[in-house]
Amino acid sequence: MAHHGQPIPVENPGTLEQNVGQLGLFAMYTGAIGLLIAGLIAVTSNNWERFQFSYLHNFCFVLSISLGALFFILIQHLTRAGWSTVVRRLAEMMTNGIVPLAVLFVPIIFLLLNGSDVLFLWNNKELAATDPLLVHKQIYLNPMWFTVRAVVYFAFWILCSRYYLMTSAKQDITGDPQLSLRMERYSAVSLILFALSITFASVDWIMSLDPRWFSTIIGVYYFANANVAFYATLAIVVYFANSKGLLNGTVNAEHRHDIGKLLFGFNCFWAYIAFSQYLLYWYANIPEETMWYMRRQENGWELVSMILIVGHFAIPFLGMMSRTVKRNPTQLFCWAVYLLIMCWIDLYWLIIPEVSPGTPAPGLIDLGCLVGIGGFFVFGAVKLSEQFTVLAVKDPRLQESLAFHNI
Amino acid sequence: MASISINPGDNTLETPGQRAALVTGSNTYQSVTDKVCLLAEKPRIPPMYFVALGISVIWLIILKFCIIYLLTTGVGVWGNMSPVFWGWPIVNFVFWVGIGHAGTLISAILFLFRQNWRTGINRAAEAMTIFAVVCAGLFPGIHIGRVWFAYWLFPLPNTMLLWPQFRSPLLWDVFAVSTYATVSLLFWYMGMIPDLATFRDRATSRVRQIVYGVLSLGWTGSARNWSRYEKAYLLLAALATPLVLSVHTIVSFDFAVSQLPGWHTTIFPPYFVAGAVFSGFAMVATLLVPARVLCGLEEIITIRHLENMCKIMLATGTIVGYAYAMEFFIAWYGGNPYEQFAFVNRAFGPYWWAYWTMVSCNVISPQFFWIKWCRTTPWFMVIICIFINIGMWFERFVITVTSLSRDFLPSSWGYFKPTMIDVLMLIGSFGLFFTLFLLFCRLLPVVAMAEVKSVMPPHSDEEPERVYNPVH
Repeated sequence: MAHHGQPIPVENPGTLEQNVGQLGLFAMYTGAIGLLIAGLIAVTSNNWERFQFSYLHNFCFVLSISLGALFFILIQHLTRAGWSTVVRRLAEMMTNGIVPLAVLFVPIIFLLLNGSDVLFLWNNKELAATDPLLVHKQIYLNPMWFTVRAVVYFAFWILCSRYYLMTSAKQDITGDPQLSLRMERYSAVSLILFALSITFASVDWIMSLDPRWFSTIIGVYYFANANVAFYATLAIVVYFANSKGLLNGTVNAEHRHDIGKLLFGFNCFWAYIAFSQYLLYWYANIPEETMWYMRRQENGWELVSMILIVGHFAIPFLGMMSRTVKRNPTQLFCWAVYLLIMCWIDLYWLIIPEVSPGTPAPGLIDLGCLVGIGGFFVFGAVKLSEQFTVLAVKDPRLQESLAFHNI
Repeated sequence: MASISINPGDNTLETPGQRAALVTGSNTYQSVTDKVCLLAEKPRIPPMYFVALGISVIWLIILKFCIIYLLTTGVGVWGNMSPVFWGWPIVNFVFWVGIGHAGTLISAILFLFRQNWRTGINRAAEAMTIFAVVCAGLFPGIHIGRVWFAYWLFPLPNTMLLWPQFRSPLLWDVFAVSTYATVSLLFWYMGMIPDLATFRDRATSRVRQIVYGVLSLGWTGSARNWSRYEKAYLLLAALATPLVLSVHTIVSFDFAVSQLPGWHTTIFPPYFVAGAVFSGFAMVATLLVPARVLCGLEEIITIRHLENMCKIMLATGTIVGYAYAMEFFIAWYGGNPYEQFAFVNRAFGPYWWAYWTMVSCNVISPQFFWIKWCRTTPWFMVIICIFINIGMWFERFVITVTSLSRDFLPSSWGYFKPTMIDVLMLIGSFGLFFTLFLLFCRLLPVVAMAEVKSVMPPHSDEEPERVYNPVH
């Protein structure tokens, strides 16, 4: 702890390139190989449909990490948070991963515009013309309008995250406190746009997979998941960065403690949202609403549902409650990895039953898509952030963050 | 600990890297104590206080007569009638429970988020919470008709093997609200112990010495006392946090588990919680703006505190707006004609006036808080807050009455009209609320003195130099 008025000296930890060097390219090659293998397996086993769903699943999973990061940045600025300055740059770098993800979304759009109904049943011309519900929704669920919306979401996410990264990087040089005020000013409006974009993105990409089903809470559900995935990723990144001495020891047990608390809190929030949705549909027992859950309660999916209840909520709720767990680097790291896997399973449970009501059977295609999309995400996050330092070295709140301690 | 010097002057401005003062003026620990104790120790109370108390007590008496009339005559004195069997009593219940959310949110959740500014307002907000829950608890109690059987709400073992319906959210409400009331009361009281001890130590009359002496539970202010106190406070905060969410979640279940269009939607739980926080903060601001002037606490409950509350109202009001929009969108998207009818009926049916009152008060009026002038001008803030409270009452009215008055069977449709007793009881419940709050202002520490001192610059009594420790 520093004493009154004496600033804590901090060394410039250098740019990301100086620190992790070739990680970006390595991730890109791994990603390409992953997607290639998944694609090859899909072609040889004639499981093209499964590949597409797996692609979408892993896309939504990886995207949720970046979106969680974007939300984190916005809310830190809006609330003028002091504790988080030492880790905010890491989040800003993670949002760079949205850029390759936008490119990876192009094949989905391409197939859709070419009339494919493999992923989105509502794109089936015959069905869309005869099923009264789909006829009703056609004004919203049609390939053109869907594409426009996707472009708008990605445009906003990329612009917003670039703005925050670039402004913060500018502050690394000038140290101008006015920049913090400007970022704070834009954060409120950005949060509203963020809320709308993540809501409708989850309606489009997750809920409309079953075009007959609906739930008003779906946007909040995906948002909750995105936050858990982000804080887990942040804890993992902090662990590796610290073990490599990347952050010059600026991130300590106090920051880990807060990341752990937020991870724990958002995990409870996820459970609350998931429970709210389930209880209300189970209780009212209206077929058009419960059919979605029915699909997830038979043919082996009931096991996945149980894994989510116990594994995503009950176990971490008890396991992460203690203060020691959140402050100990290794323990927090283990829980973060565990919860990230749970987030992956949660999205698996949301998306995959729409293709294979048969049985949940994660296989090499899923792994390949995860490595593939994850690899490109890491590539974007690292490559596009190479020239920036890993710490917001001249942020006016850096001193507060360095000196921060929990009661 | 890092120390950060304070911006002098306007404490709503904050240069990044510095933290604004939460107590303005040249206050010392001593002057904070003096100011907070003033109203409770003053030999001459301002006449305004008696005027306000008088009006409140009159309405409390009217409420009492209404209840006697209700109990001796029957629930027919209300406007509840087929098809709207849930009329104003349930609307008032949900309204008051919602109001009762700000206090525990401020003392528990804002504590966990290290929002130090909460120290200026948490005591009054917690008190308000408890009084609001008292008002809320009143309505279901008298709503059952035969009030002498009210204890049947609880699952008591009995010779007739008669049990309440455990699958009903109305029973869950009994548990949720009573747990919330208990924990909030404990939290409020426990947080008050050091301040009650201050009252005891300053007491000049024997009666005050004994009463505050008993209430302060032998507090000595020793290091051990404080250590236990802080630990208990943290634990209670952690326990109270899920309760803030659970109460209104379960209240929302009262509606949302049904199959009624307009009630059955999955966003209800978080949407109700956001609405509750919204209305709770509006009520806290409505009370504190005059109270801070009346009690001379402008330097402790500063404009910065009020501005922060406005920001929370803007955020929660916008979340409520989001929920309204999602309900409408999914009603259309879901393609269910009954659901669609329910929403079109709300906006353009016979209750259109109630719906648009709700939307303008809840969604549009808080948008004024985007403007800094609106957030930092107390009288304007109160006007907006009153609108918000009106809007939140209407929200519950719209949800309850529009869906019930026109359900699946057009031949059974009706139009709800409240009776005079309905109106008098609603206003009377405000009488109860304000009476309790005014008594609180006179008898108990309105501001958590000990906590405020913890966010003041250290050694405020000695050093004129302002140095502030942002993490206490």
